[in-house]
Amino acid sequence: MTGRIELPQGTLDLLILRTLLPGAQHGWAISERVQQVSSEVLSIQQGSLYPALHRLERRGWIKARWGTSDNNRRAKYYELTRTGEKQLERETEAWRKLTVAVAQILEGA
Amino acid sequence: MLDDLRYRIRALFHHTAVETELDEELRFHFDKQVEKYMRSGMTDEEAKRRTRIDFGGHEQVKEDCREARGTAFIELTLQDAKYALRQLFANKTFSLVMILTLALSIGANSAIFSVINGVLLKRLPYSQPDRLVRIFLSSREYPKFPLNPWDFLDFRARNHSFSSIAAFTRGDVQLSGDGEPVRLNAFGITSGYFRVLGLQPQIGREFDFQAEIPGNGLQVILSDRLWRTRFGADPNIIGRKVTMNMQPFTVIGVMPAGTEHPGNEYHSVAYGESVDVWWPFSFAGNPNQRGSHFIEGIGRLKDGVSQERARAEMNAIMTQIAREHGSNDSGWTVLVVPLYTELVGTSRQLLLVLLGSVGIVLLIACANAANLLMVRASARQREIAVRLAMGAQRSRVVRQLLTESLLLSLTGGALGLALAYGGVRALVALLPAGFPRAHDIHVSGPVLAFTLLVSFITGILFGLAPALQASRTDPKEGLQKSGRTSTAGRNQGRLRNALVIAEVSLASVLLIGAGLMLRTFLNLIHLNPGFQQDHLLTASLSLPHAQYKTDEQTAQFYDRLTSSLNALPGVESAGAGSDLPWTGYDENAGGFTIEGKKPPPHQEFHARYHMATAGYFSAMGIPLLEGRFFTQADKKDAPMAVIINHVMAERYWPHEDVIGKRITFADVPKKDSDWMTVVGVVGDVKDQPNSPGAEPAFWWSELQVSERDMSIAIRTRSDPRQVADGLREAVHRLDPALAVADMKLMDSVVDTSVSTPRFAFVLVGLFAALAILLAAIGAYGVIAYTVSQRSSEFGLRIALGAQRTDLLRMVMAQSAKLAVPGIIFGVLLALSLSRVTQNLIYGVSAADPAILFSVVLLVLSVALVASYVPARRASRSDPMVTLRAE
Repeated sequence: MTGRIELPQGTLDLLILRTLLPGAQHGWAISERVQQVSSEVLSIQQGSLYPALHRLERRGWIKARWGTSDNNRRAKYYELTRTGEKQLERETEAWRKLTVAVAQILEGA
Repeated sequence: MLDDLRYRIRALFHHTAVETELDEELRFHFDKQVEKYMRSGMTDEEAKRRTRIDFGGHEQVKEDCREARGTAFIELTLQDAKYALRQLFANKTFSLVMILTLALSIGANSAIFSVINGVLLKRLPYSQPDRLVRIFLSSREYPKFPLNPWDFLDFRARNHSFSSIAAFTRGDVQLSGDGEPVRLNAFGITSGYFRVLGLQPQIGREFDFQAEIPGNGLQVILSDRLWRTRFGADPNIIGRKVTMNMQPFTVIGVMPAGTEHPGNEYHSVAYGESVDVWWPFSFAGNPNQRGSHFIEGIGRLKDGVSQERARAEMNAIMTQIAREHGSNDSGWTVLVVPLYTELVGTSRQLLLVLLGSVGIVLLIACANAANLLMVRASARQREIAVRLAMGAQRSRVVRQLLTESLLLSLTGGALGLALAYGGVRALVALLPAGFPRAHDIHVSGPVLAFTLLVSFITGILFGLAPALQASRTDPKEGLQKSGRTSTAGRNQGRLRNALVIAEVSLASVLLIGAGLMLRTFLNLIHLNPGFQQDHLLTASLSLPHAQYKTDEQTAQFYDRLTSSLNALPGVESAGAGSDLPWTGYDENAGGFTIEGKKPPPHQEFHARYHMATAGYFSAMGIPLLEGRFFTQADKKDAPMAVIINHVMAERYWPHEDVIGKRITFADVPKKDSDWMTVVGVVGDVKDQPNSPGAEPAFWWSELQVSERDMSIAIRTRSDPRQVADGLREAVHRLDPALAVADMKLMDSVVDTSVSTPRFAFVLVGLFAALAILLAAIGAYGVIAYTVSQRSSEFGLRIALGAQRTDLLRMVMAQSAKLAVPGIIFGVLLALSLSRVTQNLIYGVSAADPAILFSVVLLVLSVALVASYVPARRASRSDPMVTLRAE
């Protein structure tokens, strides 16, 4: 567990949307991918992943369909919708601004 | 937005599918994770354990997902309701008792609210009804008095406060033509009467000013009902002539259905669509003689003009009028009363008291329900402890328990609504005669909303305290103790006792109220009315002006009629009078002169005037105190005779022998025939049974001062109903075109006059009975519970040598400890509320010691009876059982 940090509030949605940009994924793969790409720094607890997926689905940013996983089991795959893509752009932009601003303050002060 | 809705709907209606999918999804994740750990070298078991730890609470995740779906609220409620239903079915007796008591008390509230909604809350059926006012005069002696027609004309011409103003007076007419002649409820109205009310004829028009000129009055406006029933809804009725009072009246308009009478004072007709026809009031006679007051005013205030400003202006006009007629002060002030107040004013207080009473019943039912729920919550402590231990949040437990109490109260409310539906019919049937707007009372939309709201509030009210209390259960303690002996704690015990004390005090308040109503009712029935009500048949006649033009013709008719009535078999005496007791008759003659006396400044001599035939007093059973009754000799050319009542004798001739004293109505009496001589003094009869006292009154002999509209009184030896046909035939023989109206037994008139106090007594009594029953159940519940809690203690006491009667006394003393403070609070509360009941009681003080004493005794005995069963159970405790258990 060393080296891992807690996800800041509100970034979970952004991470999920970004992870789905290349293509549809099931829940487990999403959490694995976040962990891998962040070099094991970020991890998403199942307890927050699935409620988040259901919330994003309700908002219409992602949609779910059942597919077959690599070992031939039924799994639920999530993919970005068009509004989801737009939302991702917006949130990415906002995140960039935020990090730049925070960095400026931290360095400039 | 649409996606969101579609998603939520799917989540809600395909609930099971969604839940299965979630399960499958989570299992897939679990398995993948286990697979991953195993790949990193863990054993199967170890991998599963790790995964489980990672996962956290499986149920929690699912709950959060439900939350995220946005349907959690409804799903939880449904789930809670299902669980609550199962709980309620598992405790059938408990649920039944709760639902029935709630249904009774909520139903009673809904029924009373239906009356309040119909009578007090529903808008009056006129446009902008809040601009409508009634106009009366008022003096020191007569708080509410009708207007004089000439004064009214001046008001109408000079005021700037009203957009329109009108006057009306009751004057029934006889409709003849096809079939039996009938007497119609009729009013004489000035031009603009309907404009004031904001109503328009459905065909034709209303009277113009021309119609008010004497000689132009043979016009009539029909009610929708009469137009349909008597004239077949003839669309060409306008211009047709109909025969009323033997004269041809031209129909000029027909009012639409729903034309409601705004109420009147003298010979009042029922509120609602009670008027059959309207005829034009005509201003005849000498405008300088303004002594007779008999028309009632109604007006529509201009926008922005307040009632006070209108009253100030009217009073200024009144002063002007007085000055123009050579006096500085007429002694009258003008009253401007909102129509709403005038219509429902008197019933308002009664209804609010009734609402308060049912409200108290509901509060008691709530306290009871809360108590029962608390007992049950302690029995369910184990179950709740288990749920808390399993990780349920306290708010979830509160919510669960509240759902149960809401389910109870809403079921009770639904059942109560059914009860109210039946109850309202019974209420309307029981309503006092002439109760305003009785036809507007229904179980309607607002009543449904009220019931729902009350049920909801009730559920929260009685559910909240027990639910909060239960959620505070310590899981560890709750699990360790067995359900039976777990003590609910001192706080809970104190709360339960307080609730019972509150119940007892509220029930005592209602019992005291019921006692006051009962005494009022009894006082009024046992009141000496001043006449004899039994064996007395009454009716009224009105002779048409066209046929009976002269006083002689009128006097002759009533003379002949009374002699033929006196000759009927079974008749003891018969007579005719201008009015009957207790009809609200208030015609006054003012300004007469008493020989040798002067009225105090600004106060004229005033008295009610009446006419009577020779047999009237003996037929009515009004006693002669001094002098004589009228005889056939008191006729046209004989000296004028008057009979006065006791109050008039006392007021104007105190300590004097009044027989032979004289009064006159002439301004300057010249000859002896201008004077009227007092020939007799009769007993007093009040205007209304509950009037504080009788008014001064005198009677003229019908042979000397004749009146066309008279009431008939017939005293019989046996059942007075048997002479009804005889009366009709006697009238018919004299004039076949006359209708005999308002045939009534005086017994039933007297009965009607006490219908309001009877209504109040029956309802408050019913609610008080319900209240004390509920309070008894409440006290029983608490005592029985403590007895069951202390059964081992009782067993021990007996084992140690206590007598069984000691235990009996001990438990019953506990009940008395609850009852006594309850009674004390109740009595204090009742005394502080005495102002509320002041106007509803008669002849009894709100602090009547006999009533207070009886209530104290009654409540104490009920409390002791309620505790007797549990006390006996306590005294029969078996020491062996206790000892074995310990």
